[in-house]
Amino acid sequence: MILKRPAWQSAVRLGLLGLVLTWSLFPIGLVVMASVKPAVTIFEVPPRLTFHPTLANYVELYRRWPEFFGTLRNSLLITLGATGLTVIVSSAAGYVYSRFRSRALTASAFFMVGIRMFPPIVITLPLFPAANMLGLMDTHLLLILLYATFFVSLCTWVMRAFIDQIPREMEEAASVDGASLTQTLVRVTLPLAAPGMIASAVFVFVFSWNEFLFAFIFTTTRAKTAPLILSEMLGAVTGVDWGAVFAAATIQLVPILIFVLLVQRHLIIGLTAGSIKE
Amino acid sequence: MISPVLLMLAGFIFFPSIYVGWLSFTQSSFGRATQWVGCGNYLALLADPYFWRALLNTIIVVNVVVYAELFLGLGIALLFAGGVPWPRLMVSIVLAPYAISEVVAVVMWKFMFEPTVGMANHWLTRVGLGEIEWTVNPTHALVLIVLLAVWHHLPFTFVILYTARLTIPRELYEAAGIDGAGPFQIFRRITLHLLMPAILVALLFRYIFAFRLFSEVWLLTQGGPARTTEVLAVYLYRAAFRYHEFGLASATGWAMVIISLLIGLYYLRVIYRRMFASPA
Repeated sequence: MILKRPAWQSAVRLGLLGLVLTWSLFPIGLVVMASVKPAVTIFEVPPRLTFHPTLANYVELYRRWPEFFGTLRNSLLITLGATGLTVIVSSAAGYVYSRFRSRALTASAFFMVGIRMFPPIVITLPLFPAANMLGLMDTHLLLILLYATFFVSLCTWVMRAFIDQIPREMEEAASVDGASLTQTLVRVTLPLAAPGMIASAVFVFVFSWNEFLFAFIFTTTRAKTAPLILSEMLGAVTGVDWGAVFAAATIQLVPILIFVLLVQRHLIIGLTAGSIKE
Repeated sequence: MISPVLLMLAGFIFFPSIYVGWLSFTQSSFGRATQWVGCGNYLALLADPYFWRALLNTIIVVNVVVYAELFLGLGIALLFAGGVPWPRLMVSIVLAPYAISEVVAVVMWKFMFEPTVGMANHWLTRVGLGEIEWTVNPTHALVLIVLLAVWHHLPFTFVILYTARLTIPRELYEAAGIDGAGPFQIFRRITLHLLMPAILVALLFRYIFAFRLFSEVWLLTQGGPARTTEVLAVYLYRAAFRYHEFGLASATGWAMVIISLLIGLYYLRVIYRRMFASPA
């Protein structure tokens, strides 16, 4: 597979690869490692690679920011809610865009893509008083709806690309055998479109778990998410308690990092289907 | 079956954006009746030096970030396409920053560049470059913001270009080699030419998204010192949620929309031209 190259070229390529990997991983590794270091050695330069791992920072986090664990729960609820909602509505819409053609549909497709260009911060202006009025301020529901809304266009597109690849004949065969439309969709189309649903779910999941802006503006206590409390820890007037911040950051990032690495293939397929496909 | 999607988009983006358009012609704040002021907000915006500063910062940061990502992303994509050991694992590692929250990314970079104690500053001083004084020097702060943004968003550009590069058939390169084309010619005539649609897509998306840059700036500098590192989104946030001038904030919002639309249209036009020009 790999072409024959002069030795010096291979060496240069390996060197470059090393640089790329360091660039990607160094900041992450640094924080994860610092989270299990004794507080006094955190700022040692160069960072010490051998040390007695300690959970002191995690204990400190639990002692000084017990709230953090509640925000993790909020983040998880909101993420799951937004992911479920997005996958359901965009699968339905993607199916329609894939199987039917009409001028109204084309127009609505342009609307869907065009509207997504709108910067999210701009719509916080009218939503802020509106959410206040409707009593949606600081609720999980509001964030679920917002996160889902900002991903339904992309996910509808991804779903459409995937459903396009499923032969219509399979659906027709099912209906000849007496299946209703709902049965056909649930038993035939959706299982075949599962990779698309996974790809869509990954996008929303990662976004909702990590999102800061909407959480910052629309939540204060009850629905506060993990990234938001992390930002508060970072901006604490008493000075940053780095040990606790690293512990919290590690707890926040490790699960999602593992998740992304596991579903990497779906993520790549989805990104390509969503952006290249017209 | 598409109605839920359209309802969500209409309810949470379309109607609010129209309402923002109306707000931008009024003066309003909490608990006060809105008052029609015509183009007053836009004129106030144009007369505000802080707005121009924010606009300039945004344009500089967005351009540097987007092109830096493009060059690095293209470089890494070609390096990977040329064959690397354990490709799947390596791609995963390059993708890793995609999984990281903006807030956590700020934690990482702030820690490395912490004044006097951060290790990056320590090393920079060691090699004689001097510290990055991002807490006091606006240029240094913008440099740090650019570094952070490139680190965070490089995976996207990389994936788009890498997957596009993998679809170029090997035979093309073999044929070019037989015809005696040099490496530079091969790169320009085959690689770059066939990657152009993917490059434009990556550029378009990254322009639109980079334009919204908010969290990184807010969490690192809050636009300070003395509002010198503000970008448009931070300017808008401050106008709305600190000074409660919703009219001015709305005008900023529409200014952002119009500017990013113009950029988007420009790139779309280039994309279409390319597609019609090369019937490949």
